[in-house]
Amino acid sequence: MINLVYNEMLKIVRKKRLFIIAAIVAVLVSLFTYAQLKQIETIRERIGTTDWRTQLQQQIIDTQNRLNSTGISEEWKKFLKIRLQQQQYYLDNDINPMAPGAPTFMRMFIENSIELFLPLLVMVIAADLVSSEASGGTIKLLLTRPVKRWKILMSKYIAMILSTSFIVFSVAILSYAISGIVFGYGGWNLPLLTGFSIQGEELNTAAVHLIPQWKYLLIEFGLAFFVSLVVGTLTFMLSVLIRSTAAVMGIMLAALISGAILSSMVSSWESAKYLFMVNLRLTSYISGMAPPIDGMTLSFSMMVLATWALVALIVSFYVFTKRDVY
Amino acid sequence: MEETLVVQNVRKNIGKKEIIKGLSFSLKKGEVFGFLGPNGAGKTTTIRMLVGLIRPTSGTISICGYNLQKQFTKAIQHIGCIVENPELYPYLSGWENLEHFARMVPGVTMHRIQEVVELVGLQNRIYDLVRTYSLGMRQRLGIAQALLGKPTVLILDEPTNGLDPVGIREMRQFIRSLAEQEQLSVLVSSHLLSEIQLMCDRVAIMSKGEIIRIDTVEHLLQEQARTYWNVVPINTAKEILINETTVIGEKDGAIVTIYESNETIARCNARLIEAGVLVSGIERKLPTLEDLFIELTGGETID
Amino acid sequence: MSKRIITMIVSICTATTLLWTVGLIITIQDQFFYEASSIKQPKPTTSNIKQNNGLSIVALGDSLTRGTGDETGKGYVGYVVDDLKKRTNQHMQFTNLAIKGQRSPQLINQLKQKEVQRQLKEADIILMTIGGNDLFRGGEALRDLSHAQIEKEKKKFVEQLHTIFQLIRTVNDDATVFYIALYNPFNDLGNGKETSAIVRSWNYAASEVAADYKSIICVPTYDLFELQVNDYLYTDKFHPNKEGYKRIGERVASLITLTKGEK
Repeated sequence: MINLVYNEMLKIVRKKRLFIIAAIVAVLVSLFTYAQLKQIETIRERIGTTDWRTQLQQQIIDTQNRLNSTGISEEWKKFLKIRLQQQQYYLDNDINPMAPGAPTFMRMFIENSIELFLPLLVMVIAADLVSSEASGGTIKLLLTRPVKRWKILMSKYIAMILSTSFIVFSVAILSYAISGIVFGYGGWNLPLLTGFSIQGEELNTAAVHLIPQWKYLLIEFGLAFFVSLVVGTLTFMLSVLIRSTAAVMGIMLAALISGAILSSMVSSWESAKYLFMVNLRLTSYISGMAPPIDGMTLSFSMMVLATWALVALIVSFYVFTKRDVY
Repeated sequence: MEETLVVQNVRKNIGKKEIIKGLSFSLKKGEVFGFLGPNGAGKTTTIRMLVGLIRPTSGTISICGYNLQKQFTKAIQHIGCIVENPELYPYLSGWENLEHFARMVPGVTMHRIQEVVELVGLQNRIYDLVRTYSLGMRQRLGIAQALLGKPTVLILDEPTNGLDPVGIREMRQFIRSLAEQEQLSVLVSSHLLSEIQLMCDRVAIMSKGEIIRIDTVEHLLQEQARTYWNVVPINTAKEILINETTVIGEKDGAIVTIYESNETIARCNARLIEAGVLVSGIERKLPTLEDLFIELTGGETID
Repeated sequence: MSKRIITMIVSICTATTLLWTVGLIITIQDQFFYEASSIKQPKPTTSNIKQNNGLSIVALGDSLTRGTGDETGKGYVGYVVDDLKKRTNQHMQFTNLAIKGQRSPQLINQLKQKEVQRQLKEADIILMTIGGNDLFRGGEALRDLSHAQIEKEKKKFVEQLHTIFQLIRTVNDDATVFYIALYNPFNDLGNGKETSAIVRSWNYAASEVAADYKSIICVPTYDLFELQVNDYLYTDKFHPNKEGYKRIGERVASLITLTKGEK
């Protein structure tokens, strides 16, 4: 089995996919770093101070003003209200959630990339794991070795898991290394609040507690890894079912983007919460953002995602071991 | 002689349609077995069933005594194959490709890889990316890959496909030498009839999912030999020949009869001369497999 | 060479897989099995170090201070700041804590917030508008309220204004507070005369309140909008437009005297 996994990793590495992905991440992180820097500068210019309390207070007031303006949707209003309460909570407890530093940037970056960017990267690897063998004809050589089919598929799945963690790792390391140049490398022990739960329009702070930023990051990256695995598994299934890598990518892309769009407008369509793509923002639960649909919680989303992945895995293995290869 | 691959009454249905209708044949050690048939006759489907890519609906395939369906890994271990084109990983070098497949077969050493590379004569280019290989080199690398696990049965689907004439001849000699020297059973499918004729000991002719004939090449050709009579006048000669042997018809101004034996020819010749017929030539012609094929399948075309 | 790279990558992958798995386990333990009893409230590290030695301006109040109706978004506060920037080299810190539609009770609540108090404490100049929403309630109030009713509202407002000024003064007793008084956006309507009288009496009451406190200045705007009121109003006929805000801004700016770093 180790040999088989080695083979799969060899192919992934030699296709240069991992390096391309790392390069994409590096470029994006640089862009984000620059954007973040600009944003900080603008705020500083507007308010005339670097004191985070003043900045946060100003943000709260800005949010309150937005809440009072007419013509914003109910969903948005709810989202703003919850954010408002959270910001106030941070302010009242004298904690700066945005203290500059590479770890803070990492946190912001992973929270923003968990829904679309990271799944897209994972998709690039997972989409052609099986389908490229089918379209290149090499599947015939693989399946005529004295190795059981499920083992071959399992080795590919393990390779997918390994590359997924590599991608998450490269996001972590690159966002830390690049943003650190600008924001400095400290801030691992910054205390952060977690455990918010949302009940209707109210933010429940009963279980709120402080954890250091490194632990917070570990949690968020763990969740990002989980989400990536689920997306990877679904892509993997499509890769088994469909010979064309382009078609696999197309379908996954459509699903992921529709998820991003749906999450901002499905609050009235309740059964949409069973779709995997509206459940991808797991980090929102940690930071206490309003979920797209009422009644969604971290455990709910994780269960939904795990179920999707499990079904996809069963389908993949069943089809792959039973199928006639033409 | 020892039988290495035994196929018994294998059928395959796709939906309600039966594409393979009960095949039975077996391969002997050290022989080259040809698989001949037009496109759509079921050659490729059959080969894919032999290597475990497609599950037969019924019937058994056994390789060196192991049932392919029930003891897949043990049975497949004795098979080396190229199905259709030798598709390898273009982004890996030839050597890495071989290593890749070697890792999937127990007991293949570096030494063995070196051995097969030399056997197929790819020493000079083995560390180049497969992307840069010509079709002939890929074909050879494909065979090297098939030979890695020291198989007893080698299954090659269209091994000369896309090769130039020199390459075709080399490949033919190579395949023959594998059978004769290494005592492999080689199953070769081809749509090039001349190929099969030159390369194979026995041939199975397939049409519409059935084997219509299995025999040695020699035997098949012998059976269909013809005698061509260049004679004047034709009509008189024809009357005489009808009495002596079986006349098939006329072709290019010659009378065609079946070939029975040399004695028959001598006897007929004596009769013709007696009747004053001028005999300018008597020729015994072996048909090509092509003629044979057309005859057997009743005119079904082959590309 | 290639082999070593791949082995290295595979080891990194395996190690990170383990790391992320640990992350997931921590998630589950931290998010699902968190013991609510062990909540440790963060101890507030009050760091009231005044960071800027420059001029600190805090704006409070309602939509007028927010700048509603000015397409540039500045509002009178923006023009005041612009003017001050021209006059001084001092570093300037400016926070606008005004909330649209805010009435005096809400402002009182806001003033009780810790962070707002901290900022007020640092302020050198405080700009504020309040009372417009208490009186006009979006325009409907003046139309049908009886005299007695309006008097009652006024009394309530005066009390609240006292509270507001008291709160400000307890937090910061030397910043100059500019209280911008009301104008009458309805003065060219049919009942302009009556509404003007009401606005004047409110302004009078407010200026009386302001007079009770040290350096709280009541800035009149009533006169600025008395003639051609519509030229200075936004399309909602309630908030000032850019020109209107400019006039208020100019007036406020002219009252501000800079003691240090003046050009």
